[in-house]
Amino acid sequence: MAAPKVAVLFGFGINCDHETAAVFNLVGGDAERVHVNNFVSGNRSLDDFEILAVPGGFSFGDHLGSGRLMGNRMRFALREQLHAFVAAGKPIIGICNGFQVLVKTGLLPGPNAQTPLPDFVQRASLTLNDSGRYEDRWVTLEFDAESPCIWTKGIERIDCPVRHGEGKFVMPSTTDFDALAANNQLTVRYVDPSTPVGKGMSDQPLPFPLSPNGSMRNIAGICDATGLVFGLMPHPEAVYAKWLHPDHTRNTAPGPLTSEALGEWEGEGLQIFRNAVEYVLGNR
Amino acid sequence: MAVTRIEVTPKQGEGMRDVRGDVVRRQLMADHNIKVEEVRSINGFLIKSNISKPEIAERVNDLFSDPIIEDVLTDTLFLSSPEHFPTTPDAAITIGFKPGVTDNPGSAAFDGFKTIFPHHDHQIDASISTYHTYVFFGLPVGVTTEWLASTLHNNLIQRAVTADETGCLNAQWPAIDYPEKPPQTLTPPQRMDLEISDEELLSLSETGLLALNLEEMQTIQSHYRDEAIHQSRAAVGIVTDAPTDVELECLAQTWSEHCKHKIFASKIHHIDPETGEDSFIDSIFKTHIMKPTHDMQKEVDWLLSVFHDNSGVIAWNDDWSVCMKAETHNSPSALDPYGGAMTGIVGVNRDILGTGLGARPIANTDVFCFGPPNWEGELPDNLFHPSRVFRGVHAGVRVGGNESGIPTVNGAIVFDDRYIGKPLVYCGTVGIMPRKLPDGRESHIKTPTAGDIVYMVGGRVGYDGIHGATFSSLELTEESPSSAVQIGDPITQKKMLDMVLEARDAGLISCITDNGAGGLSSSIGEMATYTDGCEIDLAKVPLKQPGLSAWEILVSESQERMTIAVKPEDCAAFDAMAQLHEVEATPVATFTNTGMFHVKYEDETVAYLSIEFLHDGVPQLQLESEWHTPTPELFTPETISLPEKAGHSNLLLRMLAQPNIASKESWVRQYDHEVIAQTVIKPFVGVERDGPGDAGVIAPIHGDPHGLVISCGIAPRYSDLDAGAMAAASIDEAVRNAVCAGINVDKMAGLDNFCWPDSIESVKTPDGKFKLAQLVRANRELERVCRAYRLPCVSGKDSMKNDYGTGEKKISIPPTLLYSVFGDQPDVRFTATSDFKNPGEKVYLVGVSKEELGASEISFMLRESGEANGIGGQVPLLPNPEINITTYRALSTAIQSGLVRTAHDCSEGGVAVAAAEMCIGGRVGADIDIDGTGDASVWARLWGESLGRFLVGVQPENEADFIKWMAGHPITILGTVTDSENLTISDGHEILIDIKTNSMVEAWQKTLDMTGGVA
Repeated sequence: MAAPKVAVLFGFGINCDHETAAVFNLVGGDAERVHVNNFVSGNRSLDDFEILAVPGGFSFGDHLGSGRLMGNRMRFALREQLHAFVAAGKPIIGICNGFQVLVKTGLLPGPNAQTPLPDFVQRASLTLNDSGRYEDRWVTLEFDAESPCIWTKGIERIDCPVRHGEGKFVMPSTTDFDALAANNQLTVRYVDPSTPVGKGMSDQPLPFPLSPNGSMRNIAGICDATGLVFGLMPHPEAVYAKWLHPDHTRNTAPGPLTSEALGEWEGEGLQIFRNAVEYVLGNR
Repeated sequence: MAVTRIEVTPKQGEGMRDVRGDVVRRQLMADHNIKVEEVRSINGFLIKSNISKPEIAERVNDLFSDPIIEDVLTDTLFLSSPEHFPTTPDAAITIGFKPGVTDNPGSAAFDGFKTIFPHHDHQIDASISTYHTYVFFGLPVGVTTEWLASTLHNNLIQRAVTADETGCLNAQWPAIDYPEKPPQTLTPPQRMDLEISDEELLSLSETGLLALNLEEMQTIQSHYRDEAIHQSRAAVGIVTDAPTDVELECLAQTWSEHCKHKIFASKIHHIDPETGEDSFIDSIFKTHIMKPTHDMQKEVDWLLSVFHDNSGVIAWNDDWSVCMKAETHNSPSALDPYGGAMTGIVGVNRDILGTGLGARPIANTDVFCFGPPNWEGELPDNLFHPSRVFRGVHAGVRVGGNESGIPTVNGAIVFDDRYIGKPLVYCGTVGIMPRKLPDGRESHIKTPTAGDIVYMVGGRVGYDGIHGATFSSLELTEESPSSAVQIGDPITQKKMLDMVLEARDAGLISCITDNGAGGLSSSIGEMATYTDGCEIDLAKVPLKQPGLSAWEILVSESQERMTIAVKPEDCAAFDAMAQLHEVEATPVATFTNTGMFHVKYEDETVAYLSIEFLHDGVPQLQLESEWHTPTPELFTPETISLPEKAGHSNLLLRMLAQPNIASKESWVRQYDHEVIAQTVIKPFVGVERDGPGDAGVIAPIHGDPHGLVISCGIAPRYSDLDAGAMAAASIDEAVRNAVCAGINVDKMAGLDNFCWPDSIESVKTPDGKFKLAQLVRANRELERVCRAYRLPCVSGKDSMKNDYGTGEKKISIPPTLLYSVFGDQPDVRFTATSDFKNPGEKVYLVGVSKEELGASEISFMLRESGEANGIGGQVPLLPNPEINITTYRALSTAIQSGLVRTAHDCSEGGVAVAAAEMCIGGRVGADIDIDGTGDASVWARLWGESLGRFLVGVQPENEADFIKWMAGHPITILGTVTDSENLTISDGHEILIDIKTNSMVEAWQKTLDMTGGVA
């Protein structure tokens, strides 16, 4: 079967496009870096792709709020294409700045379970870390096993770096969170690594630096009601191999014992991308 | 056009914070011990546009404010809204830019403006200026609004409008207005009469900021007396017997110390009365740097390009080559720490992009030298406090690196009182490029031909950066023009970078270089040497604002620009690519083979200089150098009485807290060090990811464990005893750091970055001969050590005027060499970090501790505290580097074979500090015995900084193999890692140190954690 075609956006300050393309290719995708303007101008069409990735970076310098200006370009110029993409059952991921972009376009969290397709209304935001600092540090993430998210199936807990200054996830009221929680859309949260696996998730904000940003309900990432659109602040692509884990020289870097991609050296982050590739292959 | 004001402030409420306000509050606490109850922030936009106010007001939530987290007001100040600000503040301060200063949020807002008003399409006429307001509540008595404002802005580039307590009570809120640029007047090219007296020549050089000496001015003068020159000039219709202002400026830039490295190229008469030496050196650079590297180039096949390009290139494997360059941005960083440092990092990124046919920047390094951040002494006029310089420089480099998507993988921060006079800001970048492009050309070789079209790509040219390089020699005033400093625009540069690399792969680039110092004059002028000529039309150069004179366009150092040559048949494809990426690319010149640097403004010739005179016409400096060994008061630790038990333990805690040793984690963590998903060894390592990393290791090809090591060494205080020893120590430290990561010592290259005080004897610099002798000794040691290590210097830079003031008040920096190393790491799955791994691990010292406490960190610490009289004594030396390198090769291959997973360089603070740091990284204890590590005194074996040493951890099952592997090299068993909570260090039976690891963590981390926490 032909490898799923993955569009990895770049341009205007996106800067994780190379590695995001690379990790899809490692797990059987056929990734191509496509400049945003190629979609905006109609040179290229999203229809030609089966997965869309909005990588991390500093689109437009994060001026006027992270992801906002890129979000606007997509919201105003790619609205129909994006709607059709999700309606066609194709997965989208936004990582870090890409997550911020998806939130500001309104793709995440999206409307609701009854009418799950995108309406491009912004319902949440990612704002400045409580610390006031951009930081690069490793965190521990736990995933909601019941989440409809197609990207996170079977993943329980991973270590990942966060690299952001605006990662605090906020919504106007607790009922907004409760609605997402009821639908298991609060897909991934920061947890205390000393808790037992599967028991780490908590609504009470964890202290810094367990939660690097003061995110409400310790949210690191969410999905939309279809489970196709997923966004997260941490960088799973940055731990595609065990040699990128800080415990690598201690011989305790976690990850699968063996894999086709990297033998005994596959890192914990790669499964997220494999899930999407396999989802596409399974739903053709 | 009407100006619409939009203000945005964070919503108040459960779980919401005003983080920008909080940061100001915490920093006032951390830097000044001033406790303010609350600080709130407002972001403002001043929109000057032909789009009507109601139209803008309707769309504010689409662009300027985020309705989930922010409130917004149009044409109303938040401070006048009781709904949002019910309590009267104690002070309000609004800070905006001065006219003409780069306003990145303003440019981004303009970009967003075009997106939300697409129906206006190309008719939008708008410019947007931004500002911040800080509102203070619960301000302590005695803290004036004026002082607060001065800490929050730099009046060189910003304006502040304030309301003090009375102003607030009377609702006289600060309302900053749109920064209108005064109209500029274009001056047509001038004839510069050089038939004047020598005195007048010098005065012309001085007042015109030309920075040329008399001999250089006379060389130019006589050039214009040549009859043949007159005739050739008449033919193109330019003034015949004198230069135009354009030409004089162009020569001044091209012949500047910055571009021509005149001191390194000078003829030096060197005297050493102690040895009786009386000799001449014809160019330090050619003799001690270039010659050794060229000799090495004959012996290896991996040195692809050295010295002549923007960075040095080495072959990394069959498919890829790597390059590296480091620069300094000291004077701009002194004037505006933030903007100066940011242009430093994004500038050196462009050196990589301009290497060969274009390399991709993949890693940054940052090394700073500052005055002590807790300085309480007197501060000379017009200088910022070191903590402010620190914060500003750090922020500039952070924003520049992070927004460009380039990880900062290695660096250092060094403190010494003398850097108050001039901070040193070294920025380095590593790049990667395919060995061959799809069209078969080797990417490290530029391939221009006459007839190629020369584009200026990226940013526009403005007043910012005119004479930037020379401005720092003038006294700063309130009226200093904004042209003195620049603020980088990383996103404009990132767009350009994306586009250039695509153009490279598409085979569209025949030649490329960066626009840095000297602007187009330098970039096109240098590239024109390939084809032997060029013709430039300055009228085609896109400008930020009208009114620039021809010479200003030619020499402006406005940022974010590359100069790229494209074959005429490729121009259409190149233009299309620029359009896609929204990058401005304008043809401004053509390469010729006329032998002339020919500059026009439309049809008028404004400069007509031969390439030969422009590049080779500058006369060689003749300088005097005389060495005498400094004799500072001796450091005599044996006379210091320590309390029986806790003596050395207390010293260790104090040493760990010394700024030069203390953890820089809170700063370094604010750099993205992992973007590109390649960073194997990060700046901080160990169980809690907070132990010191020795070198950066990256695996830049995704899925491939082939690695690259990046490290540095710097030891400026050794210059107090011998600048030669300083240079040797810097190189050795850089190599040792790289060895700790398992570098292939047979495939590594180095960069030499010299920062020196003025070394030309004059009234201002009466000790110039000695300072030049320091430079001579440093370079002689550089050659000796690099030859022994087979370590080619592939690129370098020098900054030779690092002084402040004159006479009694003159501050000269200690002569400083930053040595950076980059090289091959065969397989990153086999590398090592400094953290002890587990109890039972065996600890070895590789190398020998000698009686070398001169200029050591402990001597400086105890002299500062008054416990010791001096820092004099034997400085660490490297007598047999050819033996050292064999040990390094053995250790490095032991790491590459997986035998060793724990290694740490032993430098500042000696064995005691190295062992402490390894315990911190592993959160374990260790029992260490320094008996047998050499014949030196206890102090020297504990605190001494002898070169060539490492602390290594070996698992018990590997110990026998390790000993066998290292046979013939100096190794000494020191002890064992333990599961106790303590590090104990003894000398035989005598216990010298016994401290809890947690206490060491605290001491090490607290000094430089200037964050003020997160609350």
